[in-house]
Amino acid sequence: MAAAADRRFGIGLLTPIGLLYLFFLILPIGFFLSMGFFKYDVFGLYKPELTGENFARLVVDPYYLDIVALTLKLAGLTTLFSLLLGYPLAFFLTRTRSAWRGALMFLVVAPLTTGVIVRTYGWIVLMGAEGIVNKTLIAAGLIARPLQILHTETAVVIALVHILMPYMVFPLISSLAGQDPNLERAASTLGASRARCFLEVTLPLSRPGILMGSVLVFTLSAGSVVIPQLIGGKDVQMMGQSIYELVLHTLNWPLGSAMASLLVLLQFSIIFVYFRSNRRVRR
Amino acid sequence: MIARETILSLEGITKRYGDAGVVGPVDLTIGKGEFLTLLGPSGCGKTTTLQIIAGLLEPTDGRVSLSGRDITDAPPPQRDMGLVFQNYALFPHKTIFDNVAFGLRMRKVARTEIVDRVTEMLRIVGLPDIERRLPDQLSGGQRQRVALARALVIRPTILLLDEPLSNLDAMLRKRMRHEIRELQQRLGITTIFVTHDQDEAFEMSDRVALLDRGRIAQIGTPEELYDAPTTRFVAEFIGDANLIDAEVVSADGRGLVRLRIAGGSEMLARTSALDLGPGQGALLMIRPERIELADAAAPGTLPARVRQRVFSGERITLELDTSGGPITCTKPSLPQYRQLDPGMQVWLQPGDCRALRAS
Amino acid sequence: MSAADKAGRRGWFGLRLSVFLIYVFLMGPIAIIVLSSFNATTSMAFPPQGFSLRWYGEFFRSDSFVDAFLFSMKLGLCAAIGATAIGFLAAYAIVRFGGRAREAAQSAALLPAMIPHILISMSLLLALNFVPVPDFTVLLAGHVLICLPFTIAGITASLDGVDAQLEAAAWTLGASRARILGEIVLPLVAPGVLSALIFAFIVSFGDIYIALFLAGPGMTTLPMEIFSYVQWESTPVIAAISTLQILLIVGLGLIVERLVGLRRIMRF
Ligand SMILES: Nc1ncnc2c1ncn2[C@@H]1O[C@H](COP(=O)(O)OP(=O)(O)O)[C@@H](O)[C@H]1O
Ligand SMILES: [Mg+2]
Repeated sequence: MAAAADRRFGIGLLTPIGLLYLFFLILPIGFFLSMGFFKYDVFGLYKPELTGENFARLVVDPYYLDIVALTLKLAGLTTLFSLLLGYPLAFFLTRTRSAWRGALMFLVVAPLTTGVIVRTYGWIVLMGAEGIVNKTLIAAGLIARPLQILHTETAVVIALVHILMPYMVFPLISSLAGQDPNLERAASTLGASRARCFLEVTLPLSRPGILMGSVLVFTLSAGSVVIPQLIGGKDVQMMGQSIYELVLHTLNWPLGSAMASLLVLLQFSIIFVYFRSNRRVRR
Repeated sequence: MIARETILSLEGITKRYGDAGVVGPVDLTIGKGEFLTLLGPSGCGKTTTLQIIAGLLEPTDGRVSLSGRDITDAPPPQRDMGLVFQNYALFPHKTIFDNVAFGLRMRKVARTEIVDRVTEMLRIVGLPDIERRLPDQLSGGQRQRVALARALVIRPTILLLDEPLSNLDAMLRKRMRHEIRELQQRLGITTIFVTHDQDEAFEMSDRVALLDRGRIAQIGTPEELYDAPTTRFVAEFIGDANLIDAEVVSADGRGLVRLRIAGGSEMLARTSALDLGPGQGALLMIRPERIELADAAAPGTLPARVRQRVFSGERITLELDTSGGPITCTKPSLPQYRQLDPGMQVWLQPGDCRALRAS
Repeated sequence: MSAADKAGRRGWFGLRLSVFLIYVFLMGPIAIIVLSSFNATTSMAFPPQGFSLRWYGEFFRSDSFVDAFLFSMKLGLCAAIGATAIGFLAAYAIVRFGGRAREAAQSAALLPAMIPHILISMSLLLALNFVPVPDFTVLLAGHVLICLPFTIAGITASLDGVDAQLEAAAWTLGASRARILGEIVLPLVAPGVLSALIFAFIVSFGDIYIALFLAGPGMTTLPMEIFSYVQWESTPVIAAISTLQILLIVGLGLIVERLVGLRRIMRF
């Protein structure tokens, strides 16, 4: 049967990715996350004894509660600023008729392609105690001692916004470019001011892009390790980094796993909210 | 019509997408060497039917048989049918030679034979010396011929053409009608042609199947469809028709009925609806060019008043008002018809009237 | 000129100015890295004092950095080929046979992009405790995983541009499904596939999360080497290496942009 043969062929095409995802993604992550329900064992990975204490600790212990709260705060701020900076950028890129449009588009992605480490290094060079900003300010006689820029929440948010910007801009471009520019023109011929045009036509129509970009940025910032580690230092602890420490330094896999579950739960509830509201928009 | 050996038959072919029925049930047979056209308005299911025949779509229900063999479940490569797409679907990254040779290569034909057959086929469709070019270096008409060559070179059991002329300009379209028909006759290849253009269908085909919302409304030679439509849809789709509400006065049961229209005039008409009986409602169909004009009342004539006269060169169209409603009548552009001004009284003598079942 | 026009012009000018500033923000750290790599002194004063290539020389003299660079190249190449091949097959299945399940299948294929990479690598690390798989295999699998969302998104977009009728035509002419894939589809989406390959290489080359956990002995990637350096000291050698990496990647990125446009790959 033609359809059955098609189905077989389709399944054949999906076999490599299916096996890869099953054995290297779903099963390991499932196993890792399930460890959160086991007891900590100083001498092994875990004790085969079910418990809820890991999760309880996360919500009771102020140390971990603070980490969760800070993650939410910094990821939220990062999302907000990425949107505030990314929107004008995306709007400009979709509306400009400049010959440089392709190049400008490329420049938005360029930072992404250099990898997190290289860019983080750039910030350290810029903001460190020995960094360019401090040296310049001291040389100019504006300050006597180096300012504490690195290892602050602000620095973390700046670096996160910088790195995650493309993830905000590109969904925005997709939703803005899909819009019929005639809609704006139509609105303006109906006497709407530019601002009203934007607020009542452009902005609502780009909602799917805003949502998609926000979900990506929030997710990626909440799970980031390198930036909180290198730019935030000891004082700024976020969830991704805390998982890293719990697993690699404290060797407390169960607690690290519980923290990871919480992070995943957080992200998927946000993705869920995204799909819910997106469906409402479509309707 | 010549009796032909059946090569392809569709039995109860149906296609549904979810709850929406798109085609069928369709029953159809096509004889060897025949040129059959599926004619119908856009969206009536012509492409779907053709793709079911080609094996690109699976029917929800029904059976397709080729020379008596059930091929309903056979994938396209096992059917040996040559399909020409509306947009030609030439492989843009292959030269014209490689496009035409593709089907032969899939059949593992020897290299030297491929060269011979491709060259020969390109010559037949009138395109020698373009083998090295790419499709986007050809004109629309040339591409159309390459698509035809590519479908024909594999010597298909049946040639399937899906609106192959609709992307050509009007002049070329007319010329290609004759070229394709001539080629089909010369090769003697069974052909199913899809179009929404009635002129195309009539000029090219041995038989035409008129489709209406996924079903065959009527099938027959072009003359049968024009002269003896069985439904209002067929009468209106094919040519122009005056359709007048009427009542059956008497019927002889062998296809001749007497009809009365509003105002009391009575007329004789042929019908294929043999069960029409006295007292029943019916539709009277009169083709505009079959109406004679008379100056004075005579038995069997219908009084009418000229509402409008439209001159279009070789032809004059008269819009007339009668007791049965408006009637259109076309006449050659002769002096006596040019003089008919709005308001003038004439008497109509309709010929070849048909009676259709009231819809 | 009407008042509305004037307001419009002022608005557009304001937009351009803010866009300019945003670009300064985006490009700043990268420009700084590039500039300080040519600095003649160890200090990182700005503007750089003197021009020299000594930090590049130091990079090439350092075995550990050169080894890391070469290892990253090798890993990136393998991961890119793997992710592109698997992604191509999956994207084709999604586009042609997805039917109503297409959107769901596409979201599922993008799963690794929705899960923090650190989770992926930790889980694989944990799994290694129970199922011994060669280190390089796991590292490679991890990289293929994180590259797949990008290759699938890019190739799917390319495949959407292929006229399904071409495949139908090849099918009626007697080609098998596999022949259609190789002779019709692949050549038509070759630019998209090539750019997916390059983009996957870029993603793999810049990765730190997977490598940090899964790289076994003798498998230090360049970002890992930089990471361990940056944690303790910051010398302009890092800037020189980073500049080389930027050059490599920007060069590759330009090729991708030429081929299909990065936008299509970035569209989730
Ligand atoms: N995949 C599909 N899903 C749902 N409806 C379809 C699909 N393909 C075609 N149709 C519907 O089937 C009808 C017939 O289509 P088609 O055979 O292409 O018509 P034609 O070729 O006569 O213009 C159309 O109304 C079309 O909307
Ligand atoms: Mg059609």
